This record gives sequence, structure tokens and C-alpha cells, in this order.
Amino acid sequence: MTAIDSKSPGHDHAGAHTAGHAPAHGQYPFLAHHFETPAQQFDSAKLGMWLFLVTEVLFFGALFAMYAIMRYREPEVFSFASHYLSTNMGAVNTGVLILSSLTMAMGVHFAQRGKKGPLVTCLILTLLGAVGFLVIKFFEYDHKIRANLVWGPGFYEPVKDANGNIIGAPSAHADAAQPPAAVASAMPAVRIDPLIGKALPGEASVVRPSARGPAGIAPAAAVDATAAMQADGHVADGHGAEGEHGAGGHDADKAHVFDPNLPKMTHRFFAIYYCMTGLHGIHVVIGMFLIGWLTIRAMRGEFTSNYYTPVDLVGLYWHIVDLIWIFLFPLFYLIH
Amino acid sequence: MNALFLNLASALIQGGLATAAPAAALNERTFWMPKQSSTVAPSIDAMFMAITWVSYFFFFLIVGIMVVFIVRYRQRGREIHAHGPTHHTPLEITWTIVPLIIVVIIFFGGFKGYLALATPPANSYQIDVVAQQWYWNFKYPNGAKSTDLYVPAGRPVKLVMRSEDVLHSLFIPDFRVKKDVLPSRYTVLWFQCDQPTGKDPKDDKIDLFHILHCTEYCGKDHSRMNAKVIVLPEAEFKLWEDKQARWLDEILDKDLYWDAGPKLFARCQSCHTLDGTPSTGPSWGPHDGLPAIWDRTSKGLTKFAGGGTLADIMGEGKEFTTPEDYLTNSILIPNKHLVESFGPAMPTFQGQLDSRGIRALIDFMKHIDEFDSKAKWLKTPPPEADAAAAPAATP
Amino acid sequence: MTTLDAPVPLDTRHSDDNYLTHTRGLLSWILTLDHKRIGVMYLFSVLTSFFVGGVFALAIRTKLLFPGEVSWMTADMYNHLFTLHGAVMVFLVIIPSVPAALGNFVLPIMLGAKDVAFPRLNLFSYWLWLGGALCVVISLLAGSFDTGWTFYTPYSVTTTFGGVIPVLTGVFILGFSSIFTGMNFIVTIHKLRPPGMTWFRMPLFLWAIYATALIQVLATPVLAITLSLLIVERIFHIGIFDPQNGGDPVLFQHFFWFYSHPAVYIMILPGMGIISEIIAVHSHRHIFGYRFIAFSSIAIAIFSFLVWGHHMFTSGQSGLMNVVFSAITFSVAIPSAIKVFNWLGTLYKGSISLNTPMLYGLAFLFLFTIGGLTGLHLGTLNTDIHLHDTYFVVAHFHYVMMGSALIAMIGGLHHWWPKMFGVMYSEFWGRIACTLVFVGFNVTFFTQFMLGSQGMPRRYYSYDHFPEMAETYKIYHHISTGGSYIMAIGFLITAAYLLHSLFRGKPAPANPWGGRSLEWQCPSPPPHDNFAVTPRVGDCYDFSAVRWDDEANGYIVDRSLDPELNPNAPKRTGH
Repeated sequence: MTAIDSKSPGHDHAGAHTAGHAPAHGQYPFLAHHFETPAQQFDSAKLGMWLFLVTEVLFFGALFAMYAIMRYREPEVFSFASHYLSTNMGAVNTGVLILSSLTMAMGVHFAQRGKKGPLVTCLILTLLGAVGFLVIKFFEYDHKIRANLVWGPGFYEPVKDANGNIIGAPSAHADAAQPPAAVASAMPAVRIDPLIGKALPGEASVVRPSARGPAGIAPAAAVDATAAMQADGHVADGHGAEGEHGAGGHDADKAHVFDPNLPKMTHRFFAIYYCMTGLHGIHVVIGMFLIGWLTIRAMRGEFTSNYYTPVDLVGLYWHIVDLIWIFLFPLFYLIH
Repeated sequence: MNALFLNLASALIQGGLATAAPAAALNERTFWMPKQSSTVAPSIDAMFMAITWVSYFFFFLIVGIMVVFIVRYRQRGREIHAHGPTHHTPLEITWTIVPLIIVVIIFFGGFKGYLALATPPANSYQIDVVAQQWYWNFKYPNGAKSTDLYVPAGRPVKLVMRSEDVLHSLFIPDFRVKKDVLPSRYTVLWFQCDQPTGKDPKDDKIDLFHILHCTEYCGKDHSRMNAKVIVLPEAEFKLWEDKQARWLDEILDKDLYWDAGPKLFARCQSCHTLDGTPSTGPSWGPHDGLPAIWDRTSKGLTKFAGGGTLADIMGEGKEFTTPEDYLTNSILIPNKHLVESFGPAMPTFQGQLDSRGIRALIDFMKHIDEFDSKAKWLKTPPPEADAAAAPAATP
Repeated sequence: MTTLDAPVPLDTRHSDDNYLTHTRGLLSWILTLDHKRIGVMYLFSVLTSFFVGGVFALAIRTKLLFPGEVSWMTADMYNHLFTLHGAVMVFLVIIPSVPAALGNFVLPIMLGAKDVAFPRLNLFSYWLWLGGALCVVISLLAGSFDTGWTFYTPYSVTTTFGGVIPVLTGVFILGFSSIFTGMNFIVTIHKLRPPGMTWFRMPLFLWAIYATALIQVLATPVLAITLSLLIVERIFHIGIFDPQNGGDPVLFQHFFWFYSHPAVYIMILPGMGIISEIIAVHSHRHIFGYRFIAFSSIAIAIFSFLVWGHHMFTSGQSGLMNVVFSAITFSVAIPSAIKVFNWLGTLYKGSISLNTPMLYGLAFLFLFTIGGLTGLHLGTLNTDIHLHDTYFVVAHFHYVMMGSALIAMIGGLHHWWPKMFGVMYSEFWGRIACTLVFVGFNVTFFTQFMLGSQGMPRRYYSYDHFPEMAETYKIYHHISTGGSYIMAIGFLITAAYLLHSLFRGKPAPANPWGGRSLEWQCPSPPPHDNFAVTPRVGDCYDFSAVRWDDEANGYIVDRSLDPELNPNAPKRTGH
């Protein structure tokens, strides 16, 4: 935010002022040479920040548009894959962020009144909220990446346990366990088009009837990859209620490759999920640096009731980061 | 290997070199446009010329006024004698409304013309188009295939197009039609050409054709991705279609290598040379101390990217049993084993080459020393074989 | 503002303490917060890039003299060159040329401000620009790229040349440079206008820059995210744009053109602003239809967001979308036409001096008319189907982006050169070079209209696949290449006399052309803080107070002649 903070332009402009300007600049050491009054400087900074937020909205807006287009075209992918996200963790994170937004708003409030102590407290609490959010997010990511719920072709590789055995293969439920190597070699290599459906044609006979979709909809793996395209809306039946795939590392998460209802190209849900939450995460990290920098400055007592522009602007930034998450949470975790 | 052969559709391919008769592109044009050769062309040209005349009018009006004002109101010396009006609202409204009316008219003209372009008639003759770097493949309803486009005259033709790799765009300037060809979905283009291309009026040995371009940038040889469009009278087209579907079957097995081989090789030629010079793909001739393609394959000498030679994976009980097995696999699943110092550039020929086509190519490889660097057979064909193969040699 | 009513001493002398001499040393430049110095640094960086992009163009044109393969340039090299030419010219030259280079220098002075709102952000933008340029150089070292400047997928995902990711990163960075410049200008115009400078008193150049800044702020983030996704697609195969993994290449085109069509107006709108200034100042007469020109800039900015689909009439998007986009596309023609007619109106009863900047201004009118009118052929659905992706399109956008945007930029450079460096260039050579560029440009690109309508596709390395292609197209290519050489000579002469003027040029008066806006009322070159005293803002297009002054060896704004400041002044501007 150095860019927005207009304080002390840091170059020599001695002798540049006429008598008409000197009093304002003498009275307010933070007033940059090209502004007439502190109010003008503050308004400019604020307008600049709002414009920056507009670009942020458009930055994410493009991704939201992408999400809408993908969801419109392949609703079955979204309705299938969103069950693999942990609503509980998402909800906790939403709470953490909203709380940190509250502490940030309180920080701005105290800054305006020049109260140093409460300001520092609020900033530190906000910072803790940001750290908490990222820690929870880290566990979510970690769990998913271990379960091969990833963005690219790795999504279609079965997960192995410590002994190298494939987790959740349908054959495990049948009498003889198949040698893992054989299953692995049946998996498509990187960038093969029909990623799903054709991957395990031989397994159709061992899929348990209970794992099949509702009446009339045949499991994708058993028939044809295209059939899965139509099998929207009912896929939840295949693997239990929402919340089952909680944070605990349920094995079913790791066996998504073998789910007969797995629609084609499901990795794309996780692609957009990681892109959007990842970009949001980057914004949280940037926010942490900004808040940390504010905290140091606040401790030094640099903010007064006359000059609190940086706190105000970072506050705005933090609210938009919060706001974006408030859209991300229902779009990925709640809507099925 | 045989199983693979059997699994393939009875697809055929025909190479560009098959054109025995000399050919030339139709090259009649006006100042702005090439020859009008489709049913939509006259209306598109009329629209183009109408806009062009509107443009001439406004261009000369604006530049004319500009020149008059410059001459008339030129500053003499350094004194300023300017006294024009600063605004004139009726004038402003006039030059807002007049262009508006003109562009609305132009829009509707273009819109009407576009409706005709966008809706193929129901009785269209359908040709499937597959584009790939840097070739066009056309497949006709009876199974015939070609790399140049043959269409019947006087009948709407609908092209259903798809790409194997990147974006392409099919453009026939004489027909004024164009449409992108995408890897992810089918696109449709239609036209009707009433006039057969026929023969050059000056020299009836020369077959004429329209030019077909790729107009969406698609990589190295984008500018070579052109094809001929030959319009035949309906009856003649039927004959061609039937013959085209069978041409490979009509060649005796023993003649495949010299008769079909070079024609099929025309397709391989863009990436593989015969004289050892490097190109997009490895040369079929001897190079870098390796013998020509058949010898190095049968001896297992081919080196792979990332180490190892063919001998490691070829033999009883290994991935490939015979050299033919390996070569067939390289044509159908090309990028599975990459030859040393080459990238994954080769497209698959699955669905384009059937067992006979592949056999013709492998036989051609076996006899590669009988051909010159341009794939011209250095021997003379036996007279009876020549007569038997002649009809099939037409494109 | 107690100073407002005091008699303003007009400093017309060549000042010794100006922004160029205020501080010295390399560090004082690279760490400067002075908008003028940042503008000058942008200017030289952009002109250097223009030289590089121009050399690429000449190499391309020289290759096209020969229909077939040539030993000294392979197809791959050619593809790299046209891609680099496009990317350099669009992202490094035209987009920053007017707003960042000239705009940075002129905007605060015209406005009567001491600096832009955020000087440090301004310097940061320049450093981002350098970073972006560095990424382009890195991409050259990493194997270059041959995707075309449009980066269409899936080719840009699958091409094996290693420079794709560096250049995408570079364009991403350049995007932020552009966004920050835009933000800075919007805030400056909103918040730093001195008393008296109302919205409708602003010079039209500022309106144009304002409209441009709106587009920069609103469109560029979409490009940034699109290119980031393309990078991610190339590395991780996430399947958003690459059909191999379930993505949609047409979606990429939508996202790309959602930025890149408005970007066309980022390029042309500031050029239009310059032309409004040049034509008014060199005709020495009040601009005709001020409000119509101002509002047409805003209208263009708004429409620019609604027409991107006209780049995709043949892409396979639905027919309905084609129709809608075609209809909206025509709406952009109206504000453009309004501007052209108002410029013509400004010439009427003017006092027109044909100095080099004015020659460029008139060349702009000529070339923009052609560029705009041929846009009609391309906006019309059925004719575009024939013309799309042929040389007709190439000719059209060169008329608009080079013949208009860049010619306006060169015109603006000549217009403000005396102000920027306090020296006069050779008027004689200026006119010769302008004529050469104008003639060369038309020879180069008008032939390409014919080439395109005859069917020659763009981005073709060779045109001898069938002998008839070479037979038809060769003559056009020869004429076109010949024209490009003429143009190159013109630009070299320009470079020579401008550089010469820096060292040997006659000192420039404060107001060499007879301008009325504020930048002509501060010395040449301006002092560090622009104005010792913020001048009183008058009607910046009222030339009745402007008169020649022998002592100053230039024009001066004589307040006693200004009817607004002196009610007894004789009225000269009739209504």
C-alpha cells in the first residue's frame, strides 16, 4: 500500500512553495507538496483505494464469471464435487474472517479517535484472524491434495496408502484384491482425452449394486462416458450425505476415482476451486503483511486523529478480501 | 499387429501427390474481389461494394472539406484571425443522426446476408472435415477420403468440421465463406457452387480448382495448410466418390509399395524426409550413423528420448513383437515412444489410415532405396500394372 | 487562493532551474517522483521499444518480398517475429505511449496541478513497465514464443517454445502498470483540479485521458486474470482453456477480447485527445463542439466494453451473439464520426498554421477516416466472414492503431517537444519526415486492403503453396514492403532531428504555437513544481487573448485581451 499512502513523498521540494501554501504544509508534516489540504490528500487516497477495489472486483469478477459459465455448462460436475469440500471448515473460516473484519473496523474506529492502545490490539486481533484463516485453509488443502482431489490429471490417479495399496478400489470389496500395479497402469497418463469412464472398463462387473445411481441411471463406468454427463442431480445418492467427507480424512474422499458416478472432467471443479480460493489466499497473505506494517507503525504512534489514512485504506482492502470469501463460501461449499 | 489392423475402420487416405494431371487455381478477379463462385458471393460482394462506396463518399467529403479549409483559412504571418463558431447544435445532431441511419441500414444488410450464410439448407450434401497441423482431411458419406475438397456442383454442401489439435479456420476466398475449426466442438459451414471448376479454357489438360486456406494461426506450417477445392458436375462427382472410396483396394498387394506408397507418403513428407535431412520428425533415410528406417527398425537401432533403443522393447514377449508392429504403433499412437531429439509433434493417423494404407507405407519403407528424395520411383512400372492402376491415380 | 486575482507574471524566459536541471545524477532520475521526469523516462523507453518493434516489422515485410521459403528466415523465425512485433507494439508501445509518456508529462500541467495524485505509485508504474519489458527480453532468451500476440488457446498451451510463460508474466505486469497509471489519472482529475478548472473547462486531452483511464481500470484486470489462468493452464493442465482437459478455447477468446477490445480504445482515445489539442491550437481557434467531443470520449469508453464479440464472428460462437455484437459494434461508429466532424468544424474559419504537429494532426484525420470507414466492412456480418483474419483486417487495424494512435502520439510529441525539453526541432526536416511517414504508411497499408479482400490470410510465412497465390499477391507485397521502407526512412529522419535538437536546438519559447491551455503558460521546460503560482484558469480554447510577442519570440496569453478577465477587451471570437 505504499502506493496509496501519500505521506511524505520523500524528495526535496524546498523553496517550491509560495507563501500561500506554507501554513498548511507546516502544520501537517504528512501533507505532500502537491496537495493543498489534508482533506484533499485524504479524499484522493480514498478515491484511489476505491478504484483499486474496483479492479479487485473485476479481477475476481472474471473468475466468478468463469465459475458461472462452467457451472451452467456442467452442473453435474459441481454438484458431484462440491460434496468433497468440508462445509464445517468453510463455515469456521467464514466466521474467522467476519470476526477479523469486525476487529479491523474497530481498529479504524480507534484510529480515527487517535487511541493508540486499542488500535494496536485490534490490528493484532485482525492479524490473528488472518493467520487462523490460513491455518484452517492449509489443513483443507493438505487433506485434499493427499486425497488427490487436485486441479489437473493427478485427480484421476488412485490414492495409495503407506504400503502402496490403492485405497478404495472397488475390487477391494470383491473377493480377490487386484494387484495395484495393474490398476495403476489402467489409469490414463497425462493429457489423455477420455479421462473418466474408459479408465476402468473392466471394473464394471465388480461395482456393488448399492454404489449405482438411482433407478434408470447406469453407472458411468459401466456404460459410456457420455452417460455420466446426463447423470446430474442424483449423484449425491452414490456416496452418502453432505458432511460425511469431513475433515477427518474419510477414505471415501480418496476413492473418488472409483466412484461410478464420477462425471467427466470433474477435476475442473477443483481447478476453479484452487484458482479462486488460492487467489483469495494470496490476498489474505498480502493483507497480513499490510496489517503487520500498520501494527508496527501504530506501535510507534504514527497515527493520529488527523492522520490515519493507511489504517482506513487497509481496512477497506481487508473488507473486500472478506467480502470475496463471503461469496466463495456458498458458491463452493453450500450450493450443490 | 493383425488385431490392430482388423480393429481399424476401413478408412482410406489419398495423398496430394496423387494428382497426375497438371492443375491450376482459378485466378480471375476484380479490383477488390476474387471470382464469385458460390451462391452467396454476389450478395456479399454487393454489400462490400455498397459499404465501399459509402466509404468513398465520406472519405472524399471529409478530406475535401479539410483541404478546402486548410487552403482557405491558412494563417498568414503570426497574427491570429480566428472567429469561427464554437458550437452549432443542429449541425451536431445532423451529423449524429445521419451516420446512425447509415450504419443501421448497413447492419441490416449484413444481418440479412448473414442469415443466408448461417443456415445450411436441409438437403445439403454433408462432408466431414478434420483439420490437423497442417492438413485438411475430408470424409464423404460413402467413406471416401481426400485431402483436397471435392464437391458436387449445383448442390448445397455442408461441412461439419472438427480439429484434432489446435484452432484452424477454413476459408475459401472464391466462395466468401469462413469458419473456425475447433478441437472442442463441431462447427458447420455451408456453400453452394453452381459452376464446375472444369478445365483451363486455354489449355484443356489443366484442371482448375479454387483455393482453400487455413486462416487461424496454427503453428509452423500454417501458411502451407492450403488445399484445392474441385467442383465437379453432379454425375462426375458420383463417379469420383465411388472410385475414391475404393482406390486402395484396387491396387494389387505387390504393387502397393510403389503405387500407393508415394501417394500416402505425400502426407508424411511435411515432417519426414527421405534423404536424411532433419525436419519436424526423424528422416526415413539414413542419418546420424543410423541406416534407413526399415533397417534401423528391424535391427532395433532406433534410439529413444530419455535413453534406450528399440531393441529393448521389441522381440518375443516384449511390447512389440515385430518391426511392423512397432511401425504401426508409431503411426497410430505416435507419441508413446519419442525418438531421440524429437518432441511430441506427430498427430495420430487413427481413423485415417487402414491396414492396407499402413501396409503400403511399411512396404514403401522396405523399398526406400528404389525411390529418390522426392519419393519418385526410380523403376518403370510394368505396363499391365500401370494400366490397372491408372484410373485410381486420379485424385 | 489569494494569488488568483494578483497580476500573474508570465515567465516566458528560458529558465535555468527547470525540472531537467533541478537535481542531477542518475539516481535523481530513477528515483524521481516528478511526473515530468517519469513521463520523459516512459517516453524514451516507449520510443526504444517502438524502434525494436519497427525493426521486427521491417524484417517481416522484407521476408514477404519473397513468396516462398528463404534461407535467412525460417517459418518459425517468421512466426516469432510477427508475434513479437504485435506484442511489443501493443503492450510496450501503443498502450503506454500516450497516457503514460505524454499524459504523465502534460496532464498535471494542463490541469494546473503540481503533480499527479500519487507520485510514488506513478514511479512504481514505470518500474513495473520496465519489469514487464524485462520479462519480454527473458522470454526471448527462454526460447521466444510464436503464439501471436493474442495467445489463442490451445496453441499457446501446447506450443513447445519456452518463452510463453515469461511473456505472459510480462504482459500481466504491464497490465498492472497500466492499471496504476489509470487510477492515478482518475484521482488526479477528480481531486487535484485547481479552483476554476471545472469539468467542462478541462482541455479535451484530459477528457480523453480520463475516458482512457476508466477503461484501463475496468478492463485490464480481466486480462490479468485471463493470462494468469493461461499460465496455470500451461503448467498444471487445469482444463479451463485447453480442450484436451475439458476446457473451452472460445471462452479464452471471450475473456481475451473483453480486455483487448477496450484496449483498442486505450490506444486510440488518448490519440483523439491529442488531435483535439493539436487542431485547436494550430488553428488558433475555439474547438468546435466541445461537449460533443468530450461526451463522445465517454461514450466510446462505455461502448468499448460491449463489442468484443466482433472479433469472433467466425469463431463458432452462436449466430445470435454475432448479430448482437455486430449491432452494438456499429454504435461505436457514431461517437467516432462526431469527433471527426467536430475537428473539421474546428478548421472552419480558423487561423491554420501548418507546423509539423498540425501536419500529423491532419494526417491523423486522413488516416483515421480510412481506418474508421473500413471498420464498417468488418463490423458488417456477411462481409466480415470473408474479410476476417485476412490482410484486410491487418490493414484496418494498422490504420487505426498505427495510422491513428501512433501518428497522433508522434504529433503530440512534436506538439509538446518544445515544452518538454525547451528546444525547437528543425521544422523543415519535421515536415519532410511527416510527409515520408504519411506517404509510406499509405503505400504500405492501403495495398493490404486489396491483398485481404483478394483472400490473402494473415500470419502467412509463405504464399507460394499454389503458384497462382504468388502470382496474385506478390505485387501487393512488393508495394507494401516498399512503402514500409519509405516509412522507416521517415522515422529515422525524425529520430535524427529530434536528437539533434536536444543538443543543438534553438531555445523554445514558453508558447511556440499559440496555445491557450495552462501548459503553454509555464516556461519551457517547466520548473520542478510546474507553476510558481497556480495560474488563473480561463477558457482553454479561447484564443482571443493569445498574441505574438516579439520579445518572447513566441506567443503570449495577454490577459488584457481576455474578455473573461477584462470585460473591456475587444471580442474577437465570433459566435
